[in-house]
Amino acid sequence: MISLQHYLVVSAALFSLGILGLLTRRNAVHVLMSIELILNAANVNLVAFSRFSAGNLGGQVFAVFVIVVAASEVAVALAIVLTLYRLRRTPNLDEADILKG
Amino acid sequence: MEELLRSLALFKPETALVAGLLLVVIADSIGAAWRNAAMRLLTLASLAVALGLAFNLQASGAKASIFSGMLVVDPLGAAFKVILVAAGLLTVLVFTFRNSRELHGLGQGELMALVLALVLSCLLLAASSDLVILYLALEMVSITSYVMVAYLKGDRMSNEASLKYVLFGAASTGSMLYGLSFLYGMTGTTSLPAIQAFLAGGVPEANRFGIYAITLLVLAGFGFKIAAVPFHFWCPDVYQGAATPVTALLSVLPKAAGLAIALRFFYGTFSAPGMSPWDLEGSINWTALLMVISVLTMTLGNVAALTQTNMKRLLAYSSIAHAGYLLMGVVALSENGARGLLVYLAAYLFMNLGAFLVVTLVHLHDGSFDLRDYAGLHRRAPLLTVAMAFFLLSLVGIPPFVGFLGKLYVFAAVIEKGMGVYATIAAVNAAIAAYYYFRVLKVMTIDSGNEDKPVLRLAAADRAWLVAFALANLLPIFFWGQVEAWARGALVLYAGR
Repeated sequence: MISLQHYLVVSAALFSLGILGLLTRRNAVHVLMSIELILNAANVNLVAFSRFSAGNLGGQVFAVFVIVVAASEVAVALAIVLTLYRLRRTPNLDEADILKG
Repeated sequence: MEELLRSLALFKPETALVAGLLLVVIADSIGAAWRNAAMRLLTLASLAVALGLAFNLQASGAKASIFSGMLVVDPLGAAFKVILVAAGLLTVLVFTFRNSRELHGLGQGELMALVLALVLSCLLLAASSDLVILYLALEMVSITSYVMVAYLKGDRMSNEASLKYVLFGAASTGSMLYGLSFLYGMTGTTSLPAIQAFLAGGVPEANRFGIYAITLLVLAGFGFKIAAVPFHFWCPDVYQGAATPVTALLSVLPKAAGLAIALRFFYGTFSAPGMSPWDLEGSINWTALLMVISVLTMTLGNVAALTQTNMKRLLAYSSIAHAGYLLMGVVALSENGARGLLVYLAAYLFMNLGAFLVVTLVHLHDGSFDLRDYAGLHRRAPLLTVAMAFFLLSLVGIPPFVGFLGKLYVFAAVIEKGMGVYATIAAVNAAIAAYYYFRVLKVMTIDSGNEDKPVLRLAAADRAWLVAFALANLLPIFFWGQVEAWARGALVLYAGR
């Protein structure tokens, strides 16, 4: 029987992987994928809590909104990464380093 | 249906902004030569109408929960709405495509639409009373600001700034969302009043650690919006890379909305009657944590600003420092703290927009943001120098200027709570800040250089705005009574259902 704990462990693993990828990856697209992992960790949590403990649909509705927002956020982020590629011919975040001080 | 009509009646400022937003988008697609003027006029009109409606809302003292408990209307929220809409209106009025060199030749409709969307989303964020709308509004603020920062499409700095902004933003709002999901799991509801009721009922021993972890994760989201340490890394780069009018807007709006929701979340929800705020029967002292964040924010902002030579970066670090002072109003967790926050934000709006206007005008004529190029400016532009002196003295917090009023209120709120050491650290910080503000003033008036450059010929409108902003920084102290009455009337935080 799969219980709430199983879902929470999966979501914690997803969240940790997301943070790890965010901190270690240098390719902008990989970083965006890591951010997706973080958002989906929250989604798994929301749906699992809604099913097992809260006893209402609030969490599932929240998760649907999160999916929509995540899509629009990635659309904007990818447009910015694409501009980065056009300007510098690289998706590498390390090379975006003219602003500092 | 009745609920919807009742809600819409209390949703007028936002409705005006939505209408303006749609009209601007339609006008932009017409493609006629007069559309730029029309769009600017539409934007200004809808912002002005929204400002009037927000004033009305505050004066009416309405307290209600609208749209099935998604948003809440209360005098404190209405006062924040007034500040937010006023910030948007002033920015569009003062910064034009004419006086900002960076925006020359760019499409106007998109930026106008984005400004309206940003103001709208900030209003929603400041009024949200449900986790769903809180997250949606926070992301709407974020996404519109990402696009605004990336507005100078072919510019490498603008692109890099927006890239950093989007990555930091997505990471911190993602962490916040993860925290919110646990808050939902623990309380079984997404509604803030219901969460408050749950917390007031006593948190079981086993859940206390969870509450602390949740609060830390949620702080990541709010801290990112306010640019509080340690979520401030994006701030200097974004302020430098974005077009100056966008920077001016971003230095006020998301910060104000973030502080409003932080106040609503922590003061309104996490401190129920009979429950000491922050310290949810546990051993961790939350006031201390927030205090540490606030102290770090103001200290890091001020110390890092000391060595800056780019004016936009200097003002970015200065805005981080001001976020630290503004947080004092949240740390106090009292009515006086909320009042201090309001007065400080209103003051900050005038002094900061004024300083950015000066930076924009110098860039328009000299094409430089470098502090060294400000040398000898008092000969080439006396009016500009005097106005900048007003803004800088106000930012320092010297008595006759409005910045002093803001500092006075937050310091008083903190001292009243018995946090004298905290107030002392903040005062020392204000002294450090005086050094770099005065350095700018010294470069402008005492340092020699640029004698051969021509006199700055300011347009009449720009001169009028400089004078208006300078007066706005000087006069409020003579109308202290009205300021006090306005802020006092706003001290109702409605947490009802």
